[in-house]
Amino acid sequence: MIVASNSCLSCLIPPWTIRSNSGQISTSRRASASQITITESNSLVQQTNKRRCKCYDMYKEAVPFAEAWAWQKSIVEERKSLIDRNEDDLDTLIVLQHQPVYTLGTASSENNLNFDIKDPPLPIYQTERGGEVTYHGPGQLLLYPIMNLRFQKMDLHWYLRALEEVVIRVLFSTFSLKASRVEGLTGVWVGDKKLAAIGIRVSKWLTYHGLALNVSTDLSPFSGIIPCGIKDLGVGSIKELLRGSSRPSSTSSDHDDGDGKLIDIAHESLLKEFCEVFQLELCHQSVSILRYPDK
Amino acid sequence: MALRIWASSTANALRLSSATGPHFSPLSRSFSSVLDGLKYANSHEWVKHEGHVATIGITHHAQDHLGEVVFVELPEAGGSVTKDTSFGAVESVKATSDINSPISGEIVEVNSKLSSTPGLINSSPYEHGWMIKVKPSNPKELEHLMGAKQYTKFCEEEDAAH
Repeated sequence: MIVASNSCLSCLIPPWTIRSNSGQISTSRRASASQITITESNSLVQQTNKRRCKCYDMYKEAVPFAEAWAWQKSIVEERKSLIDRNEDDLDTLIVLQHQPVYTLGTASSENNLNFDIKDPPLPIYQTERGGEVTYHGPGQLLLYPIMNLRFQKMDLHWYLRALEEVVIRVLFSTFSLKASRVEGLTGVWVGDKKLAAIGIRVSKWLTYHGLALNVSTDLSPFSGIIPCGIKDLGVGSIKELLRGSSRPSSTSSDHDDGDGKLIDIAHESLLKEFCEVFQLELCHQSVSILRYPDK
Repeated sequence: MALRIWASSTANALRLSSATGPHFSPLSRSFSSVLDGLKYANSHEWVKHEGHVATIGITHHAQDHLGEVVFVELPEAGGSVTKDTSFGAVESVKATSDINSPISGEIVEVNSKLSSTPGLINSSPYEHGWMIKVKPSNPKELEHLMGAKQYTKFCEEEDAAH
């Protein structure tokens, strides 16, 4: 169960100025493995003209998909009530990782599964987002913006291109990876490898679901599906591309340290570029993740 | 692709006007995709009220902005719809969008062709791309919808603002 306080604590944070090689973070969010995690938002206040966006940042947490999905939907219902009363003012961004899971979109075909849907190797969810089947798991950063496009541009094509733009900028500015779009195939590609998948749902111009960026994801579960229904092109990750295929694997302890750092860096860059592309100021919210002990 | 869809739906709108006579004639040359005689919601659905049945679909403007529709999710006949509440969804370009009902009532028929040919929404949004037929429970709701001229202006203002 995810519990979040709705108060906007000291709201405004300065724009990110952190570069990829600094390793220092001005607002530190630590999600420990213990029962309850409370984080504090930055106390600096700065006047800007940018619209504010509530940010629930659990980027180090592998949250079960069902919990995050239910939480998203409850936020969407609250926002829709606000929209109906003409009181909607703040957008929302959720950042997290997921435990291993496959998810399907509204039009997803079972033909894109390399297993019997009645006996899946991982939990599988039929969601209300667009797009085909995909895999989510640790090492992959999810951005779930819940955006009222009336604040931005009431154009779904624009919104999808903007989400792609966030990732393209992250990959180039932080990792020197030249990414691109492929006409007709929403997502972000480096060469013939897809690094980020995108799928959204829209209701009364309120969008949810979002994008998934492979940072240090174990890509082997993608072989269980035809990702996003695209047969001829593969899936990649930032780690794989930076490492290159010729270098041998490092030890498992190096893996964890390096992966954690990659995730930290990618996360910082994602938030920065998200704010730039959508012209938003993030307003970090406390989030508690309650885990029930196993019986 | 967008140009082909625009061209085919405009052609359809013109064929529609000549086939069905003056009751559903195009409003103007510049915005011939809005039909007279229908009512419109600001979420871009249209309603055609004939006797005890109202047919509902999405407008040319909506399908044009969505792009190619690859999937349509519709309710079952016998269910009900409530004004301004979602009754289904259309998927295009990795985005699935709610379709909202402009009126309340009982669903008496659903367009089963849309499951196999969702592109009918693009090629024929006012005719073969109809979505559901509803027995209105509160016909006064139709009075709150926009007419063709008002809807045309609404679309122009919305496009200009964004």
